[in-house]
Amino acid sequence: MAKKKCVAMLLAGGQGSRLHSLTANLAKPAVPFGGKYRIIDFTLSNCTNSGIDTVGVLTQYQPLVLNSYIGIGSAWDLDRKNGGVTVLPPYSESKEMKWYTGTACAIYQNLNYLTQYDPEYVLILSGDHIYKMNYELMLDFHIERNADATISVIEVPWDEASRFGILNTDRNMNVVEFDEKPANPKNNLASMGIYIFKWSILKEYLEKDAILQDSSHDFGKDILPTLLSDQKKLVAYPFSGYWKDVGTVRSLWEANMDLLDDKCGLDLFDYTWRIYSVNPNQPPQFISNEALVMDSLINEGCVIEGEVEKSVLFQGVKVEKGALIRESVIMPDAVIGKNVYIEKAIVPSEMVIPDGTIIRAMDDSEDDIVLVTEDMLQSL
Amino acid sequence: MDKKLLGVIDATTYQKGLEDLIQHRSLAAVPFGGRYRLIDFILSNMVNSGINSVAIFPKNQYRSLMDHLGSGKDWDLNRKRDGLFFFPAPAEEKEINSFSLFAANKDFFDRSNQQYVLISNCFTVCNMNFQPILDWHIKSGCDITEVRRDGRTLHMFLIKKSLLVDLFETREQTGYTCMRDVVTDINSPYRQCHYEFKGYAVMIDSIATYFNESMKLLDPLIWKELFLKNQPVYTKVKDEPPTRYFTGATVKNSVIANGCLIEGTVENSIISRAVKIGKGSVVKNSIIMQKCQIGENCVLDSVVLDKDVKVNSGTMMYGTKELPYVVRKGTVQGALMNS
Repeated sequence: MAKKKCVAMLLAGGQGSRLHSLTANLAKPAVPFGGKYRIIDFTLSNCTNSGIDTVGVLTQYQPLVLNSYIGIGSAWDLDRKNGGVTVLPPYSESKEMKWYTGTACAIYQNLNYLTQYDPEYVLILSGDHIYKMNYELMLDFHIERNADATISVIEVPWDEASRFGILNTDRNMNVVEFDEKPANPKNNLASMGIYIFKWSILKEYLEKDAILQDSSHDFGKDILPTLLSDQKKLVAYPFSGYWKDVGTVRSLWEANMDLLDDKCGLDLFDYTWRIYSVNPNQPPQFISNEALVMDSLINEGCVIEGEVEKSVLFQGVKVEKGALIRESVIMPDAVIGKNVYIEKAIVPSEMVIPDGTIIRAMDDSEDDIVLVTEDMLQSL
Repeated sequence: MDKKLLGVIDATTYQKGLEDLIQHRSLAAVPFGGRYRLIDFILSNMVNSGINSVAIFPKNQYRSLMDHLGSGKDWDLNRKRDGLFFFPAPAEEKEINSFSLFAANKDFFDRSNQQYVLISNCFTVCNMNFQPILDWHIKSGCDITEVRRDGRTLHMFLIKKSLLVDLFETREQTGYTCMRDVVTDINSPYRQCHYEFKGYAVMIDSIATYFNESMKLLDPLIWKELFLKNQPVYTKVKDEPPTRYFTGATVKNSVIANGCLIEGTVENSIISRAVKIGKGSVVKNSIIMQKCQIGENCVLDSVVLDKDVKVNSGTMMYGTKELPYVVRKGTVQGALMNS
């Protein structure tokens, strides 16, 4: 294999249990987002747009949908003779089966994948976030600062800082302390889970960590703190722009609604930084005489005969006459029956909502976002 | 030899009635239905009928056609064995007709294993499975089967490959220049049959048919006949985001492709990929092709905008149902250029 300057390792094995039924049969990075995408499209497109053509995708939890979606990577132009995308599932060795027990463990078990490209730098990514980022600029920063590891950080609101892994830095953005979900944060720079390592350093520390019995084999909890205590040069790379972890039903709904806000900072129509996805190849959308569509994002293959307001509709969704959809996310091939009323809800793929159903949050429910389930429809 | 079909698409046709749309492109590459080109229909029909070797014979202005087809990947025709073949006319040939083009590429026919050939034009919009037609052709023992709709030819023919090779090799003696010549010759020695196709099928041969048949897509019955779930129409992938409808947008009875930004009113229209329609603008009974930009407070009624047309704010453009106003590719339409 030809040597590569930078190889990306994309952690895509997450279960995303807080997305409940949406991740019952597929991994979180494969969850549909934004009318035509899956969450992982953003990271994979960022790689292609940043000139990174070698990406190892680490899968573990419910990989079928994700594996077949990624295929040979052609949707993201990552079907390359040298490099390209490689799906890296856990595997068994002669003595034992080796599950990925932590983020660092997953990379450690694929050191042989990295070795074959003998890269200078390794970019660690997570397939759980919605954002557009030029990794090349971060790599330039990493090289310029001659860092051993660079961690991408974003300013979060102070009152939310205690939910994140916070990095305390000096004036020159050198990391001086890690503060995992601090009760009293000293800073509001949150780690985005995006790291660039010098390959030699990464290899050394992963090998050291692997034999430690009491390590959780996690980058944030084990590898980076060890590097810091060994006085390695860790720098924080400040990122500004849209970045969102869509780990809960509410945040997934919010991120979809953000696409309808021109000021949110995530522009799908920016042709200089296109988000690629596997094309569903459906006919154009048909908007009937009775339909009313306002302030919405609608994908091909939809047939709209009802009213759609401030909503995101994926490919192949059918909205029948008299139906009214407000502030909702309707995933691929769902059918919304006649005179259905849906407000602030997520309707999963292929779900059929029977005629006349009313879906909205109960007055006494904790959250006002409804994730529609088959059980819920049966109990109505 | 197996009883399989070889696909041949004759893209040499030039329709005078479509001049405005085929000045810079082959008839096969004329945009249709918001996200397709005319050739997508026949090509997808072939692929969906199990044909995995397709030869395209173009003549004029085939740059846009080649750009559209690429390696054939979007039709699953980028194969190691068989796949998509492109045979442009040789430069030195003076008079090019279908048979002379086939003859110039006889190697293709010789190297193929398929026993039968389906020869089709490139401008018929339909969703047709050729397998039952081949079965019918073999059972009936005909030499040539012509596919028809309402008794009119669709310029699609089924024939044994060996007979086709004979026909184009003896073209100088017989005077035949294409399949149509063979089947219309009253002295033709071949046993001919007609297969009547019952579904929706229309040949796009003039601006009037182009316009009227495009508008028929708004009829859900025709839509359902053309876009079948298990026989999809494939086209070049564009990676457009979903279409964004803004507050104040009013869209009725229209077919809209992806990547559009709609702030105005759209009625009874076909809107292609990545079209912008500004605030206060009204687009009615019109066909708007890819990447057109319509400014604010424009009125367009019975208009066909070819690709990349920019309409400045405040422009009014009117055609009629019988004679739509056709605007050529890449032009700028100003408020002072009212038609």
